[in-house]
Amino acid sequence: MTLMSKIVNWARIKSPWIIHFNTGACNACDIEIIASLTPTYDIERFGILLKGTPRHADVLVCSGPVTRQIKDRLIRIYEQMAEPKFVVAVGTCACSGGVFRKCYNVGGGIDSAIPVSVYIPGCPASPKAIIDGVVKLLTSLEEKEAAAPPKTAEAVEIKG
Amino acid sequence: MINVFFNILIFPGLIFLSIFGLGAEYFDRKLCAKLQNRVGPPWFQPLADFIKLLAKENVIPNQADPTVFTLMPVLAFTATLTAFFYIPLWQTKALSSFNGDLIVVLYLLTIPTLTFFLGGWYARSVFSMIGAARSIIQLFAYEIPLFLAILAPAMMAGTLSLSEMTVFYGSHPWLVLLNLVDFVIALVALLGKLEKTPFDIPEAETEIVAGCLTEYSGRLLAFFRIAIDMEMVVGSSLLAAVFLPFGFNFGFAIGFILYLVKVLFVVALLSLARTIVARLRIDQMINFCWKIVAPAAFLMLVVDLVVKGLISR
Ligand code: SF4
Repeated sequence: MTLMSKIVNWARIKSPWIIHFNTGACNACDIEIIASLTPTYDIERFGILLKGTPRHADVLVCSGPVTRQIKDRLIRIYEQMAEPKFVVAVGTCACSGGVFRKCYNVGGGIDSAIPVSVYIPGCPASPKAIIDGVVKLLTSLEEKEAAAPPKTAEAVEIKG
Repeated sequence: MINVFFNILIFPGLIFLSIFGLGAEYFDRKLCAKLQNRVGPPWFQPLADFIKLLAKENVIPNQADPTVFTLMPVLAFTATLTAFFYIPLWQTKALSSFNGDLIVVLYLLTIPTLTFFLGGWYARSVFSMIGAARSIIQLFAYEIPLFLAILAPAMMAGTLSLSEMTVFYGSHPWLVLLNLVDFVIALVALLGKLEKTPFDIPEAETEIVAGCLTEYSGRLLAFFRIAIDMEMVVGSSLLAAVFLPFGFNFGFAIGFILYLVKVLFVVALLSLARTIVARLRIDQMINFCWKIVAPAAFLMLVVDLVVKGLISR
């Protein structure tokens, strides 16, 4: 690793900006995500800031199963983000589809639409679990050569 | 010649101003965090943000005008840097000064807002266009009070050169007390100029995503952000030079430390305001600026005129 890429990698680990996107959650996971942004948990300690626009963000925090309606929008948001970008799936629904699995209108977890770096289970995932997941994502970046995003997963077809 | 390049590029120019800008952003964020009873970011946070953004992909939307879109961050950066050279920092003499440089500084400090407007407008996304329109509306609300508030002390000193103003107030220190109201007015206007919380209407992230900067990413965003940081420092330096004009005669070391303290004091006042006040609506902001702040500035102008008449008699 050259010095330059070391510095860049350090900066990436120290300053992950997130954008939060609800792909069809029951809202409990969203409330927990918001709770982890409050002064009680204070994730600005890790340099994490909540951004409103995908163009500024590095980490896409998704909650909930991917419904058929949201799938195209989710992919759109993901594509609007600038490289390098990472995806965190918060909640059992986002990991696998959870209680909504095999519903007529649900495709499955987030990884059925876009590649996911970290899965955080829990129904809903508690703020501590969310922070732990994000920190794990950051430490996993430390070990890599340069922070490269994972290979695109095969998009799974939504079946009726 | 080498001296000039050193002054422009390293000290007190580009490098110093960038580092001080990042430091001021850290100070602002940390103080804000402390006031909200949390720990806040580590000291290298603004630097890490800046490097990360520099290394990110640079997305230029298809519908945007690539020339204007890429030119605007650089223009904002340059304009703030240029304004810095005309402000007296730790001695009564600025790096460069002439009679009328006050007006030049004020207009150079208007350019960043205009670049936000143009950059947002030419990004041609719905959110950035709304943000652009709002930022230009806001410009008309705070710009007049700011000009009036800085004009009153200048009129008192009878000069339009910042360096001569500091000399004047150095010999008439008690006249500074007269400018306290103007100081508050200028602080309010500076909040609007920097688009900080009570007046962050153009980038209200709960309504219009990120306003003018919605479509910006990577390097261009990094330059916009550091331009805003530098604007904070330059604006605070301007306020410090006009309203806190003391301690210019103690040589370099003490004068420099005093300068840092004065600027950080102004920044602290700004972040205090940011913590205790919530965001206003655009119409409330215009009403507030035109019905309260601007008349107060006019009143102070009249008071200053009367006092000046009394003194010269
Ligand atoms: S994991 Fe549980 S709390 Fe979260 S969205 Fe699914 S059902 Fe709701």
